[in-house]
Amino acid sequence: MIEVVLNDRLGKKVRVKCNDDDTIGDLKKLVAAQTGTRADKIRIQKWYTVYKDHITLKDYEIHDGMGLELYYS
Amino acid sequence: MANRTDPAAKSIHGTNPQNLVEKILRSKIYQNTYWKEQCFGLTAETLVDKAMELDHLGGTYGGSRKPTPFMCLILKMLQIQPDKEIVVEFIKNDEYKYVRVLGAFYMRLTGSVTDVYRYLEPLYNDYRKLRQKLSEGKFCLTHVDEVIDELLTKDYSCDIALPRVQKRWTLEACGLLEPRRSALEDDFEEEEEKEEEEQAMDSVEDDTHEKNYYRGRSPIRERDRDRRRDRQYRDRDYERDYGRGRERDRDRDRDRDRDRDRDRDRERDRHRPRDDRDYGRERERERDREGRERERRDRERGRRRSRSRSRSRDRRDRDHEDGDHRKRRTRGSVSPRRRPEDDGSTRDEPKKKKEKKEKKSDGTDHPDPEIAEANRLRASLGLKPLK
Repeated sequence: MIEVVLNDRLGKKVRVKCNDDDTIGDLKKLVAAQTGTRADKIRIQKWYTVYKDHITLKDYEIHDGMGLELYYS
Repeated sequence: MANRTDPAAKSIHGTNPQNLVEKILRSKIYQNTYWKEQCFGLTAETLVDKAMELDHLGGTYGGSRKPTPFMCLILKMLQIQPDKEIVVEFIKNDEYKYVRVLGAFYMRLTGSVTDVYRYLEPLYNDYRKLRQKLSEGKFCLTHVDEVIDELLTKDYSCDIALPRVQKRWTLEACGLLEPRRSALEDDFEEEEEKEEEEQAMDSVEDDTHEKNYYRGRSPIRERDRDRRRDRQYRDRDYERDYGRGRERDRDRDRDRDRDRDRDRDRERDRHRPRDDRDYGRERERERDREGRERERRDRERGRRRSRSRSRSRDRRDRDHEDGDHRKRRTRGSVSPRRRPEDDGSTRDEPKKKKEKKEKKSDGTDHPDPEIAEANRLRASLGLKPLK
């Protein structure tokens, strides 16, 4: 179980607990449940890399405590 | 500027009408080439021409969330705000189905609640096919009445958040709307009359084995939703009829199935005239429950899946049923008993063990409350629990 921090630099900073074999799509659902936006409007990035929905966190090498950027589409 | 709302336009739902489409999506539409080329300087008349050229509906698609022409036209309508008569004309027109859907969508966004129900419900009878663009960019098939249903029941469609409308029964209670008359109402009335006749016949004979056997084969059964049930149970009816405490099952069934039935009955009752509703409901419920119970029983036998939750409740019900035994005698319909007493008790234990295992794997009873909370959320989203 890992905990990921997502920040949108506009005031929303969210800590989400998830498994490392969850996909980015699942992570988006968890974030949506916590922030109240819709899951399909969320975009998760790291600098200029937009993370794709079907790839797991483990494959993206997202570790415990890592910070990701939260954007909206 | 081309993107500003018409200054003569009224505010909708307390805000600039274009704000009904959220900011990011609105910017995407302003940058879209279809908007820039085709939607420049459109008026209500020229808008109709553009609407007639539509050949699909949808929200945004692709990685960069590109909007469809349908969305651009919706935003254009919000910008110029055509009169209500024009929108009603869009909805009433029969020839161009996409114009109809466009009008219906605009009405849903801007109209008052009674208008929404009044103008959109007749469109339930339109069964024409529509092409819908999904968010992956592919097309899928849908129908006009499906789209209307989505507009009336969901609060999000085509990537636009729809304003809230009250439920129909609230408005009926206030007297703003009349109860819904479905186009299938006549068919339902016929069917209901036939069922009532059968019920009248059956209630005369009480607690006889033959009656159960007969009811198992009555024509009503065929008309029920789960037809395959009949094939499976025809043989078993006879053996089940010989057993004590048939009423016991009815009691148990009622407790377990009350909620499930309520939804089903309410849906069916909507189409039924009011006076008959209560009369038919009890009988309906009995019959439905029996049928569903049988189907479930078959599944249990076939696969021995864990039904222990219901099973453990069985035991409690079995203990309490004796008091109610007398009451049940007056009811017309009788449900066959589940299985002989001795079998039931031995089956409970393996089922109970399975139930315990299931609870643990769900993770919602984790000692740490935070993790339990997280697991509950995950379960509601359909994800596996945290490791």
